[in-house]
Amino acid sequence: MTEKNPPIDFDSALKRTGGDKDFLYELIDMYMEDFIPKYDVLTKALKEEDFTAIQETGHYLKGSAANLSLSFLKDSALQMELAGEDKDIKKAKQTLTELKKEFDRLKTYISNMD
Amino acid sequence: MKSKNKKVNILIAEDDRISSKILEKHITGWGYDVLVVPDGKKAWQTFKKNEIGIVLLDWMMPEITGIDLCRKIRNDKSGKYTYIILLTAKIKQKDINEGFAAGADEYITKPFNPIELKARLKAGKRIIDLLEKLHKQAIHDGLTKVFKRREITRILNEEFQRAQRTNQPLSTIMLDIDHFKKVNDTHGHPIGDEVLVEIVSRITAKMRAYDKIGRYGGEEFIIILPHNSQKSIKKIAERIRKNISQKTIQTSAGPLQLTASLGCTSTENIEASSAEMMIKISDKALYNAKNNGRNCTVVV
Repeated sequence: MTEKNPPIDFDSALKRTGGDKDFLYELIDMYMEDFIPKYDVLTKALKEEDFTAIQETGHYLKGSAANLSLSFLKDSALQMELAGEDKDIKKAKQTLTELKKEFDRLKTYISNMD
Repeated sequence: MKSKNKKVNILIAEDDRISSKILEKHITGWGYDVLVVPDGKKAWQTFKKNEIGIVLLDWMMPEITGIDLCRKIRNDKSGKYTYIILLTAKIKQKDINEGFAAGADEYITKPFNPIELKARLKAGKRIIDLLEKLHKQAIHDGLTKVFKRREITRILNEEFQRAQRTNQPLSTIMLDIDHFKKVNDTHGHPIGDEVLVEIVSRITAKMRAYDKIGRYGGEEFIIILPHNSQKSIKKIAERIRKNISQKTIQTSAGPLQLTASLGCTSTENIEASSAEMMIKISDKALYNAKNNGRNCTVVV
């Protein structure tokens, strides 16, 4: 719990979600549930060099991460959105690895909280 | 009927379910009625089916984007004004300009700050309430509170078309207070006003909940009675007439005895091709009632 750079700013997320802890946990679960299919979409989009899908999925993940104060995931998702916008496949590939790493870090962090 | 207490419906169009859940929780908590949809197409369908006061639109959505929906809502002239707030992660000046040019009233950057959102919704509600108040003033007669001539004519047109479509009868009554000018000349306009208010109250007491009344001229009123057959129109008109004449009207100048003449028609009786025609025929019937000695009902 004393992680140096926690993947979630819990206090800020709690404030944004109205101070209801159960509700926040429900939303984090929802985010994790949504992430996997979105990650699959990104993997496919990268293979097909579908930059519109890369940009849109990056945008979606950025928005939901920002709502839950998942700042590292938000930053990676933003990079993905920009890679899509710039049609930069190399950057998109690097970012996908980064995104997955951040997601796994969040999963571990949350399971340690339980 | 007081707009002050009326709840404003808020439509949230947001494809990010986390964001929409947070929005819904906050906004319902602040006492608004909320409808949530996940894309622009459903947002448009919901908007057309419901009376929506404020719309919160995510900019980037599947099917129809928030900005396109914003333009669609502004181009739709069928309903009342809708206050539009764009929710966006786009914060470039050119995007903001585009949002306002499309007809947005406000924009909020994502992730939103609940305190700011609450304040913006309050501002939106204030505008919606004010427009509602102005609209009511524009369509209602200040003295008698019934519809003004333009509005009652619009309603009659609408009812006429509905009656044609559904093959249901529609009736109209044109009512004129007899010798009303004498009241004004003898006792002054304030007493005339008291009489008008009391007579309207006596008319509406005999109307059904879905009948409509409007002030057509100074002391002339029109009553629209949907689904009303030729048989019952005379009965209703007579009830109204008797309710006016049976008891004296208490005014500041003492009790006054007033009567009214009524001209009625029904789509069952006549081959009316328009709402205007119904008015003309009712007016003709009223003219006949006046010629018959007043204080009576004529059905054409």
